[in-house]
Amino acid sequence: MQSNAALEYDYSLAKKFTFLTILFGILGMLVGTLIAAQMAFPELNYLLGEYGTFSRLRPIHTNTVIFGFTVSGIFATWFYLGQRVLKVSIAESKFLMVIGNIQFWLYFVGALAATISLLFGVSSSKEYAQYEWPFDIVVVIVWVLWGVGMMGLIGIRREKALYISVWYYLACFLGIAMLYLFNNMAIPTYFATEGLGSILNSVSMYSGTNDALVQWWYGHNAVAFGFTVPIVGMIYYFLPKESGQAIYSYKLSLLSFWGLMFVYLWAGSHHLLWSTVPDWMQTMGSAFSIVLILPSWGSAINMLLTMKGEWNQLTDNPLIKFMVLASTFYMLSTIEGPIQAIRSVNAIAHFTDWIPGHVHDGTLGWVTFMIMAAIFHMAPRMFKREIYSRKLMEAQFWLQTTAVVLYFTSMWIAGITQGMMWRAVDEYGNLMYSFIDTVTVLHPYYAIRALSGVMYFIGFLMFAWNIYKTMTAGKELTQEPQFRTPMA
Amino acid sequence: MFFHWLEKNPFFFAAAISIVISFAGLIEIVPNFAKAGKPLVDLKPRTVLELAGKHVYMKDNCQSCHSQMIRPFKSETDRYGDYSLSGEYAYDRPFLWGSKRTGPDLHRVGNYRTTDWHENHMMDPPAIVPGSIMPAYKHQFTNIADIETAYAEAVTVKNAFHTPYGPEFQRTRAAWDAHRPKVLADAKLIADDMRNKDVKEAVANGEVPEIVALIAYMNSLK
Amino acid sequence: MNALMIKALAFAAILMIATVWVVMSLNIDIVGDSVNAITMAGALAIAVITAAVSVKYINQMKTDTASGELADETWDGIGEYKNELPSGWAYSFLAVFLWSMWYGMFGYPLNTYSQIGEYNEEVLAYNAKFEEIHKNPDEATLIEMGESIFLVQCAPCHGNTGDGLSGKAHDFTTLGHFTKEQVLDVIKNGSNQLGYAMGIMPPGMASGAQAEEIAIYVAGGMKGEQPASFASCSSCHGADGKGMNGMSPNLVVYDQELVHHVLEHGKKGILGEMPSFKDRLTPVQEKAVTAYVQSLSN
Ligand code: HEC
Ligand code: HEC
Ligand code: HEC
Ligand code: HEM
Ligand code: HEM
Ligand SMILES: [Ca+2]
Ligand SMILES: [Ca+2]
Ligand SMILES: [Cu+2]
Repeated sequence: MQSNAALEYDYSLAKKFTFLTILFGILGMLVGTLIAAQMAFPELNYLLGEYGTFSRLRPIHTNTVIFGFTVSGIFATWFYLGQRVLKVSIAESKFLMVIGNIQFWLYFVGALAATISLLFGVSSSKEYAQYEWPFDIVVVIVWVLWGVGMMGLIGIRREKALYISVWYYLACFLGIAMLYLFNNMAIPTYFATEGLGSILNSVSMYSGTNDALVQWWYGHNAVAFGFTVPIVGMIYYFLPKESGQAIYSYKLSLLSFWGLMFVYLWAGSHHLLWSTVPDWMQTMGSAFSIVLILPSWGSAINMLLTMKGEWNQLTDNPLIKFMVLASTFYMLSTIEGPIQAIRSVNAIAHFTDWIPGHVHDGTLGWVTFMIMAAIFHMAPRMFKREIYSRKLMEAQFWLQTTAVVLYFTSMWIAGITQGMMWRAVDEYGNLMYSFIDTVTVLHPYYAIRALSGVMYFIGFLMFAWNIYKTMTAGKELTQEPQFRTPMA
Repeated sequence: MFFHWLEKNPFFFAAAISIVISFAGLIEIVPNFAKAGKPLVDLKPRTVLELAGKHVYMKDNCQSCHSQMIRPFKSETDRYGDYSLSGEYAYDRPFLWGSKRTGPDLHRVGNYRTTDWHENHMMDPPAIVPGSIMPAYKHQFTNIADIETAYAEAVTVKNAFHTPYGPEFQRTRAAWDAHRPKVLADAKLIADDMRNKDVKEAVANGEVPEIVALIAYMNSLK
Repeated sequence: MNALMIKALAFAAILMIATVWVVMSLNIDIVGDSVNAITMAGALAIAVITAAVSVKYINQMKTDTASGELADETWDGIGEYKNELPSGWAYSFLAVFLWSMWYGMFGYPLNTYSQIGEYNEEVLAYNAKFEEIHKNPDEATLIEMGESIFLVQCAPCHGNTGDGLSGKAHDFTTLGHFTKEQVLDVIKNGSNQLGYAMGIMPPGMASGAQAEEIAIYVAGGMKGEQPASFASCSSCHGADGKGMNGMSPNLVVYDQELVHHVLEHGKKGILGEMPSFKDRLTPVQEKAVTAYVQSLSN
């Protein structure tokens, strides 16, 4: 094994993916803010003709934030921290550099093309798997390239034991590969006939209840292996690294990891409670969802305990604030989800705004906060400059925190209200509310959510600006900082 | 210790993850696969026009606001009709249950809404239901539905999954040319109940506006 | 308790109070419906547990210090303590695991629980609860009952006020129950869809000026002097136009008979098509909407 002599890491790929993270983040959240506003002010559906309706834009929002923003963030952080915890520079292998660059360009072009296809309504309709088959193929190739690059880097590592973060990135790769492939199995109809109809159309290999089961086995675990596993991988690196503290407990890391791996996959049927999938599967989904609280909270608690005694870091390093709050929102969404998976609670929560509320606790409070914190940590090391403005970062933190709180409180109240109104009967036993009553009553909450969207989006622009200025105008650094990120 | 060893052997580490994450799916999905795919005895696959309408529904992504899954609660069966049964969905590829009810469930909307109502509603929802936040889908009155793709899909599922489409459903272009007039006849039945002149004219000229196919699909949801 | 904990719990409390307040202001029964009650309890659990546990650990940042035995390895300068599991976490894991076994074996037994069985019980309980009210409702009760049914089931076409949304469906608010155009259309084309004992009404029962005057008379609610030409209608609808005790449609008011036939068979006319509501309303509900529809034209 080598000595601790400093290695020159190659950040070119990490930088490229960082740019994409910011680009897709802006795009995805802009559309998110627009669709939130459309639910409060339906006139906004007509800004772009056929292409501007809520229903066309919604998948653009979800796919851009998931497959654009989050996945870029995962790639960017992998190409940064992977090298560091494996103690090997990617530039040591020409092959890996080439693979990484092909991955980047194919991904960039593929993601743009896929987004445009959704705008034109080319969609295979399954949630978070809307891309039609040609784009699915691109996704698979990109993923395989990433896998090859990851395995390759692990293959030439100097650090014998895999650090915790690597466990999670590896699981992310394997999990998504398996899920994506099975859920998107489809037959292109053009090739199954004498070239009839559109070349883009395909038909799912599964039908009805089976299709639903495969979809939500995918959908739930896409959340697991996209919004949870790699983000946990990030925090296990960036929080101790930024704070200089050692991980609180290896044992807790270990149990949380394997617990998460084992339990997550069983819980998918909580998306299908009270549907036509067999009762026993629903029961399994409910029960495992509750169990899932513990392995999820295990990681969050491990992170909070890592910061034991470091109150001063929490108060005077905004980066630590982002990450501690991210852990807290992770705890919120991983107890909210399980409770929504209880049969009776789901009878109210399912189909209502409480679900998007839960979703954005996770995505805004946990995923996006963590990805932004990671980029704030990486930027000075990648660009060899100080963070441009600490003040801006503080302001951004408070603006976005307020936004998340407004988002989830408004959707929490809206969802519970809506769910209970659907069920309500009057004194004679007849339905008390017509459907439209349950829509109009939500207007104020939709308006608040739209406002929170604007706030969060502005926060994200502040972030983007700060990183841009860091790259171009931050004070130059002569030496890479060991722990705490320098900021002006 | 086993885990320390595992952490130094990435190949086995990856293998262990793969095993741990695969078997939940096997245990939950596989055992019921055949049973959950079974159609109700008298279930008919959708006509080509209805299938084209389903494609319009998917293109405009109505499932982002509408579910098609009536849960077994009295409040839902009162509002929407009988609770949904697995066998009703056996020919749905993909399933369109949705996960959000910004608008009402549509699984049995064919029972309680009619062609002319949809025509008015899709043109301008708030004019029919004051306070509606559903967008208007005016473009469906001028865009032409892709009935050929719908036919190709019917043929594909017939050959691949034995979906019971008749012998006239063949892979060839000639078979499609022969079937086309049938689709247009179905479209005319819908257009007859509509008021929009351009739509009627398009159908008379052998074209099927998206709205006609969509309404055929809506009416088939029963 | 320290300040942070108090703030967190206060936030949880405000959120819960706001939720309960909004729901109650909509006349929703939280305690009486077990599903609502469990949901509120769940919401409370989410808010309180998250607030309390996260603040508990955040407080340790203030009060505790990091300690323990460090592992030999470091990764990019990151070390690891060999600390034991936090006991609260470990016991909770165990407890929840045991609970899940209980849930699958006794709560919702994997081999016997059926959601359709539960639905059937819900319907039985519902019937038991409302049977009494539904037995002999008086007129005022019927109208009130009818209004809420109408607003849920009929308003999407007939409008909240029953005015038919400017000619898109039947207007219940006018004096006569048809417009002149509707009557003329039936006279011209006949009618064959409502399933009355008398069977069909043939087309062309009158024409020209006669049809015109009949239509005006019928649309006017059959007030004033009856035109002689109405004789061609009375043979079936009766001299008073009231349908000869349910043999044919009542042309004057929306009687129970008419509403029943329309709900049973639906109706397609010049305004559009109304779907059949067969089996979607109970007899009491049908009576109630009738009473309400009648009340609209008064
Ligand atoms: C932004 C959300 C939204 C989208 C997108 C949307 N709808 Fe709706 N839809 C609603 C709402 C809200 C209602 C209830 C108010 C009303 O009837 O307009 C509704 C009602 C309906 C109804 C009446 C159902 C009933 O029981 O009264 C039908 C049919 C319908 N929508 C079809 C569609 C179709 C087809 C599409 C896609 C082309 C679509 N909707 C897209 C929100 C939406
Ligand atoms: C041979 C018997 C007969 C004669 C004569 C007749 N009707 Fe009718 N009418 C019926 C029957 C039966 C129905 C219900 C038909 C159905 O099931 O749709 C009906 C339906 C109607 C309706 C529609 C009622 C509704 O609620 O939809 C109107 C309006 C009407 N008649 C008006 C007239 C007028 C005006 C005349 C004279 C010019 C007339 N009828 C002569 C038998 C008759
Ligand atoms: C999907 C739309 C729709 C719904 C829902 C609907 N109607 Fe109608 N209804 C119509 C239309 C359209 C007509 C007029 C048909 C024509 O004459 O052109 C009509 C006609 C009627 C008539 C006939 C009046 C007459 O004298 O012939 C009655 C009675 C009626 N509706 C009652 C109801 C009641 C009660 C409900 C609810 C339980 C209801 N409708 C729900 C569309 C609807
Ligand atoms: C213990 C962990 C979790 C459990 C048990 C859980 C459970 C649930 C449940 C029950 C639903 C609602 C299903 C429905 O009724 O429609 C749901 C929806 C969702 N959750 Fe979670 N959740 C967890 C954590 C998370 C996290 C951390 C995120 C993301 C950051 C997340 C993202 C989502 C998304 C995107 C949906 C919406 C799915 C859809 O489109 O319907 N969940 N979750
Ligand atoms: C500016 C910030 C954002 C706003 C205003 C916003 C708004 C919205 C809205 C209005 C919806 C549709 C809800 C509905 O149909 O009722 C939605 C769905 C969704 N958003 Fe966002 N969003 C934002 C950011 C994000 C981010 C950053 C992510 C992920 C990283 C994300 C992930 C999702 C997902 C997964 C769904 C689907 C939820 C479901 O189906 O239940 N959003 N968002
Ligand atoms: Ca796909
Ligand atoms: Ca969803
Ligand atoms: Cu899930």
